[in-house]
Amino acid sequence: MLEIVNLTKVYKGGSVGIKDVSVTIPPGPPFAILGTSGAGKTTLLQCLGRFLEPSSGSIRLDGKDIQAISREDFRRGLGIVFQQLNLFPHLPIIENMTLSPRTVYGESSSEADRRAGEMLEQLGIGELADSFPSQISGGQAQRVAIGRALLLEPEYLLLDEPTSALDKNTTESLASMLKDLRTKTTFVFVTHDLPFARMLAEKAVLMKKGRVIAEGAVEEIEKNWAD
Amino acid sequence: MRLFWRQFIFTTLLLWMAAVTSAQDSGSPFRVALTGKYPPMSFYSEEGELTGYDVEVSKEIARRLGRPVEIITTEWAGILAGLQAGRYDAIVGSMAVTPERQEAVLFSEPYYISGAQLFIREEDRSLYSSLEDLNGKAIGAVTGTTYQHTVESEYPEIDVRTYQGDPDIFQDMTAGRIDGFVTDKLVGLYNAKRAGKAFIPAGSLMYDERIAIPVTKDNRQLLDQINDALRTMENDGTLDDLKRKWFGDAATTGADSRQPVRLSTDMVMKRMLAGFARTLFAAGVAIIIGFILAIPFGVALKSAPKGIRGALQFLNDFVRGTPLLVQLLFVYAGAPQLGVALGLPAEAFRLSPMQAGILTLTINAAAFMAEVVRSGLLAVPAGQTTGALALGLSRVQAFRYVVWPQAFRVMIPPLMNSIVALLKDTALLSVISVAEVITEAQKLISITYQPMKFYLFAAVLFFLVAWPLMKASQRLEDRIRKRGYEESA
Repeated sequence: MLEIVNLTKVYKGGSVGIKDVSVTIPPGPPFAILGTSGAGKTTLLQCLGRFLEPSSGSIRLDGKDIQAISREDFRRGLGIVFQQLNLFPHLPIIENMTLSPRTVYGESSSEADRRAGEMLEQLGIGELADSFPSQISGGQAQRVAIGRALLLEPEYLLLDEPTSALDKNTTESLASMLKDLRTKTTFVFVTHDLPFARMLAEKAVLMKKGRVIAEGAVEEIEKNWAD
Repeated sequence: MRLFWRQFIFTTLLLWMAAVTSAQDSGSPFRVALTGKYPPMSFYSEEGELTGYDVEVSKEIARRLGRPVEIITTEWAGILAGLQAGRYDAIVGSMAVTPERQEAVLFSEPYYISGAQLFIREEDRSLYSSLEDLNGKAIGAVTGTTYQHTVESEYPEIDVRTYQGDPDIFQDMTAGRIDGFVTDKLVGLYNAKRAGKAFIPAGSLMYDERIAIPVTKDNRQLLDQINDALRTMENDGTLDDLKRKWFGDAATTGADSRQPVRLSTDMVMKRMLAGFARTLFAAGVAIIIGFILAIPFGVALKSAPKGIRGALQFLNDFVRGTPLLVQLLFVYAGAPQLGVALGLPAEAFRLSPMQAGILTLTINAAAFMAEVVRSGLLAVPAGQTTGALALGLSRVQAFRYVVWPQAFRVMIPPLMNSIVALLKDTALLSVISVAEVITEAQKLISITYQPMKFYLFAAVLFFLVAWPLMKASQRLEDRIRKRGYEESA
């Protein structure tokens, strides 16, 4: 269970990033955090990733404040794929995938390679294992980034604007791939792409100007979108 | 309690200073400076031995002082500064007594008397017979000598060009860039003959020069001992014997046997390569330690808190924005004075030429490489760190596995440039008398008078090391480009 409780972030200059945000995301079907730009999605994401310290409120993972979780455990609880993907350009795809399992979690190279290979197959890009990030397309890079995060088997995986760099066809194939993925991980899409959210998520919250203004099924939230 | 500590520190300091001062008395070497580039007074023989009139006088004085002799060769231009800084006890370097120098140091009784003489090319015999005839012309003199100052002040219409030593003067005489030079009469005759040059004295001696041994003003005790030694050498005929041995021929014979000195190829190779090995040693140590220091320094330049970063950047800019030559002279000659200024004895900060050279080169290497590290790190997007942290890597792991490998690739070309530049800069160590390849070349030139040959040899040695480095750098760059960095790969 991922609980965001009364979370507020006020920046140094006094501008408010998010105000009193409370969201509960149960494990299971994909969830969407919706909002246009300036809604506070990025601030929320930074807090969820422990890259920003909230001014007040807390984030709990299975009842535990995320600040109190060890680095290794935390990243296996809550993964993030940023909009920029941040693939490591100096490493081939397979090593991009296995760097963390090997260096952080002490997995053997052969085991990590095997799991990464399977993951790439599942994502439909098995042939790219030895390519470098500069040699693959945007849609392929998106899959690699998701696969890299999934290899840590996090309870939740936050995807930051996963479709922003993709065209309509690639977006659809990404959505269908994610739907078919056999995984225990709960996906959380942080996006302004309503059609994409509709394809995948059942429940969602809508954010505006740093606050949550609606919560419920995606179809219901669509009604509030226009305001 | 506080009183106790004060007394304790005071006593310790006194004891230490006493130890340091007493170390200069009997038993400790009598440290003498000369240039080693001033035949027949001091020069390197064909066997590579330091010899000459000044050298033998030094040994004889030391023997009479009952102390072993330690001869330090240094550039003439800085020889008095070195005495003041306490690098050596006395200069037995054919220094003439002048009122200006007497204000700074104490001079012994003269150990020979010579005079300033104008020399010209033999074929110009009919053109010039005195300095007046050279008004409007250019003549040469060694930098910082009384000859230079006298001609400059008494013959303002003569263009006085200054040189590091007689070999350089001879080269410009032969090339016709200067029409004469002023030097010690004995020395000039001796050198012209050895170099096989037809240079002859023109006119009479400009003035007599009393050549004596300076010590620092606070060292009257040593001065008295030196004077006693000179007096006994005068009385028992030692000084006369030495004069006959070194000047007898040169003063009497003309320029009749004009055979340039020939050195065995073996010996030249050995000396040059040994010098170059020291060059490479200094450069290698400086590059390795410099790079190790440059990594944390470069990280701090990029990421330290603003105040610290500003201070470090200023320090870095200062090192990079001042000439290495000045830094070398500062560290070598200035550091002992820094010690004195801090209330410590001059010994506290005294470094050997090699130590001073390596220290300065290391600081330089660290400064230049830190800048390379900094800009390399800046070339890696911040998202790379965020991405690594999001995958559970610690900050150190993110740096080591993600940021550093990418930054390092960007750094390789400028890093190689720094290394090649540093290697070449090592040649500057010759100004503080490190026995590196240029110093060795200069010694060989002072014997053979063949500057072109030996400087070219030195240049080739540098190039033989620098070139593969440059090639390797280019190849490395190509390989990195192939490994997935460019779309075209």
